[in-house]
Amino acid sequence: MQAADKLVDLVVNLSRVPWGKRRCEIQRELRSHIEDFVEAARAGGHGDDEIEKMVVASFGDPAQIAGAFAWVYRWERAAAGAGLFLLSSVVVTSLMLGAVLALQAAMAIGFGTPLQKVLASPHTAIEALDIFFTVITYTGLVALERLFDRNRSVKALTLLAVAFAVLTAVRMAVNYRAPFLAFGVVNGAFFRTTQVFVKTGMARTGIVAAALAVLGAISFPAMTFRFPYALAATCASWLTMAAAYRQMPNAVARMDATLWRRLQRM
Amino acid sequence: MEIDREFLKGSISLLLLNLLSRGEMYGYEILQEASRRSANAFEFKEGTLYPALHQLEKKGLIQSEWRTAENGRERKYYSLTPKGKKTGREYEKQWQHLTGAIAAVLESK
Repeated sequence: MQAADKLVDLVVNLSRVPWGKRRCEIQRELRSHIEDFVEAARAGGHGDDEIEKMVVASFGDPAQIAGAFAWVYRWERAAAGAGLFLLSSVVVTSLMLGAVLALQAAMAIGFGTPLQKVLASPHTAIEALDIFFTVITYTGLVALERLFDRNRSVKALTLLAVAFAVLTAVRMAVNYRAPFLAFGVVNGAFFRTTQVFVKTGMARTGIVAAALAVLGAISFPAMTFRFPYALAATCASWLTMAAAYRQMPNAVARMDATLWRRLQRM
Repeated sequence: MEIDREFLKGSISLLLLNLLSRGEMYGYEILQEASRRSANAFEFKEGTLYPALHQLEKKGLIQSEWRTAENGRERKYYSLTPKGKKTGREYEKQWQHLTGAIAAVLESK
């Protein structure tokens, strides 16, 4: 009964039920139903080939059944998604921050700047906040996309835009400035949009490089460089950040896939 | 006569609670029973039964237990909870009120 097994597996896979135990339970129950059906059909004198066709015909559309299961377990899926989002955000932020700080520390040593001055500077705190808000926006979009069946990216971006608008209104009402949050949301949304809508890696790198150049052209004239090597150090720091952000989608995708796979085994 | 899926959607909880009020059953048995009692009027696609059962279980209206039959076959048996019995009776009253009201409209001139 290969077709019947495939049918059950398809329902379970399309259902997006997160917990492995629950998925096994659904699989077991549907298989048990098909066994009953097959037994009754055999008793009715039908042959195996005919029964297989009967199972497929009477079972219903797998996508529709999976959709109904997805609706039943929507809150479990949302809770699992929120857990994955938090864990993924923390891990990817830590990895990116670690990598960026290590590279910048190495460059600082190269430029003859004391290490402490680099790592304990306000600039490092700003970078950490930028990375943090960018990563949570990116992983947040990935988590939101999981809630929808169609037009996932557009719907997730719309939800993010609404949430950001509400947050901005609240911030303005209480007169609280949070430039890192705004940077992170725009940056995270930019990287997610690029990842989803631009198909080749080369084109994505080109877009990131172009965006970096535009940002540099806008920002550099407004900056004052007190040391002769400051411009070079700033450029190197920016390139490091851009390279780290360029790698962020891969890190999030790997982390997300690993965590989701583990969850489905639990 | 084929029944519109939308009609069935709203009444499936009532149907399942009513069938299970007669005793515990497993999925395949529920379908057979529904088909038999309705003189084959309820022949909905079999896979669609299970999400409905899981939904009722999540709401605490039914409970389930896996059991192994004498032939070694494993089956998941569903039965009503006290909340399910109460809700089933409530649904039945609502249904009778609704069908009575619809019939009155349809028969009115």
